[in-house]
Amino acid sequence: MKILEVAGLNVTFPTRRGMIRASQNVSFSVDTGEVCVLVGETGSGKSVIGQAILHLLPRTAIVSGSIRYGGQEILSMSEAAYAHLRGREIALIPQNPSGSLDPLMRCGRQIAEVLECREVPRERLSGETGRILSYLNFPDPELTAASYPHELSGGMRQRLTTGIALASEPRLLVADEPTKGLDYAARNASIAMFRTLKEKRHDSILMITHDLELARLIGDTVGVLYSGELVEFGPAAEVFEDPGHPYTKGLIAALPKNGMKPMPGTCPGLSRLPKGCYFRDRCPHPCTEGEDSHPAMLDGSGRWVRCRRFSV
Amino acid sequence: MPPLLRVEHLHKTYGHGDIFRDVSFTLDSGETIGLFGMSGSGKSTLGRCLLLLERPSGGKVFFEGTEISKIRGRRLEAIRPRMQMIFQHPEVSLNPRMRLIESVTEPLVYHRGQEREEVFEELQPLIAAVGLRPDQFYSYPNQLSGGEIQRAMMVKIYSLSPKLIVADEPTSMLDMSVQAQVLSLMKDLQRKNDTAVVFISHDPEVMQAMCDRVGVLAEGAFTLMDMSAFSGYAEGLRQ
Repeated sequence: MKILEVAGLNVTFPTRRGMIRASQNVSFSVDTGEVCVLVGETGSGKSVIGQAILHLLPRTAIVSGSIRYGGQEILSMSEAAYAHLRGREIALIPQNPSGSLDPLMRCGRQIAEVLECREVPRERLSGETGRILSYLNFPDPELTAASYPHELSGGMRQRLTTGIALASEPRLLVADEPTKGLDYAARNASIAMFRTLKEKRHDSILMITHDLELARLIGDTVGVLYSGELVEFGPAAEVFEDPGHPYTKGLIAALPKNGMKPMPGTCPGLSRLPKGCYFRDRCPHPCTEGEDSHPAMLDGSGRWVRCRRFSV
Repeated sequence: MPPLLRVEHLHKTYGHGDIFRDVSFTLDSGETIGLFGMSGSGKSTLGRCLLLLERPSGGKVFFEGTEISKIRGRRLEAIRPRMQMIFQHPEVSLNPRMRLIESVTEPLVYHRGQEREEVFEELQPLIAAVGLRPDQFYSYPNQLSGGEIQRAMMVKIYSLSPKLIVADEPTSMLDMSVQAQVLSLMKDLQRKNDTAVVFISHDPEVMQAMCDRVGVLAEGAFTLMDMSAFSGYAEGLRQ
């Protein structure tokens, strides 16, 4: 069963200096109980996709394509109808936990508040809160519940916002950069938490990140974004084992543990994209023919790669 | 020849407990020592104390044989060009109202009293080496990406031909592919100039790629490790 199907999603921002094409013809889907990770660097358009799914794009954005949630089209849905889904069926784990928590409210209360919206009876509130916190690998859930956000570390605050998202029992979790700004130990704790959610609760998660290692460890499927479009999509194990697109290969080679081999050049700006392949100037084996035509996403039995040289 | 940097029993406290205590090591030209620790472990404070940007509470720092923890004012100022710091947020280290060319030439204009255009001309080989175009230096910091700004900082810092650089998480705000570009550039410049580097990071994999030895800070205690001991320590953290 597909819980989320994104097809031909385009998001464009009109500005005084021209059109910014933040997302172009993006298509992918997430199965129920699956973790799908979209990986991209700054300016790849990864956050825009999450915002489109959550109806959080600014009004000026020009959007086309289709986003179906549980078979139902949500992109064109009215704000009033969508309000019944957001925070109930589709929940966001926000990028900046410190800015998303109420500094004057105890942590347990911030989770209980969401439970009250679901009409969980008062006598079960603290038990439920403790149960959610224990999923998030907090060593002492009771102590955490009684603390204020400033008493927690950055990593714990990130896991707490995950708890608030889980409290609504969503069918789809959207996590935007969950490991951003965390140190090594906190990031490992966060990865362990997502593992628990995946293995014990079978949550459906769409994760948006720049962290390749997180994608490799957590993802069932992974999509790689470059300059607003998907250049590769497929099962995480296969993509990391045998990347099909030269950009994916370059990203993996640039990891410190693989010797930090730098890729030449920089991403083209979203307002002045070249005509043909966006990666051409940085490609170690650029195509000589069809320079002006844009490469299509090639299907290699479940592996999708936007490169003419790709073959199964 | 004394080592370029010698640190003896360095200690810092803010009164409510030690930030670090009994830090001792030496560093030679061309060598890189890592300072590793989690958020709040005091690794940035230690880095700042090494350059006397902050006064240590006890212990001694020797730079080129001179005890710099003892001197102040003009005498310290005369040594400063030879020891430089690269900060984590390059965008806040640059004046937003100055074009890059003004920021980048400022140190030499100040320390040597030369004309700006003359200095900029002299910096051209370095600008080419970091992979920027001269015309980009007529932009303001907000018109450039994080990676471009960090490269411009590299020009600014290496213009002084420093003997010692303290790099405080220079790439933690950058994308993976840009991090690889900036760090391999740092290594190239270090090799060419025989610079000693103190590299601060919380990423064990970056440490392993960049350093010859690592000092680990945990709860105020400082432990010096060679790379094989550090990789065992990092493995322990993963669990």
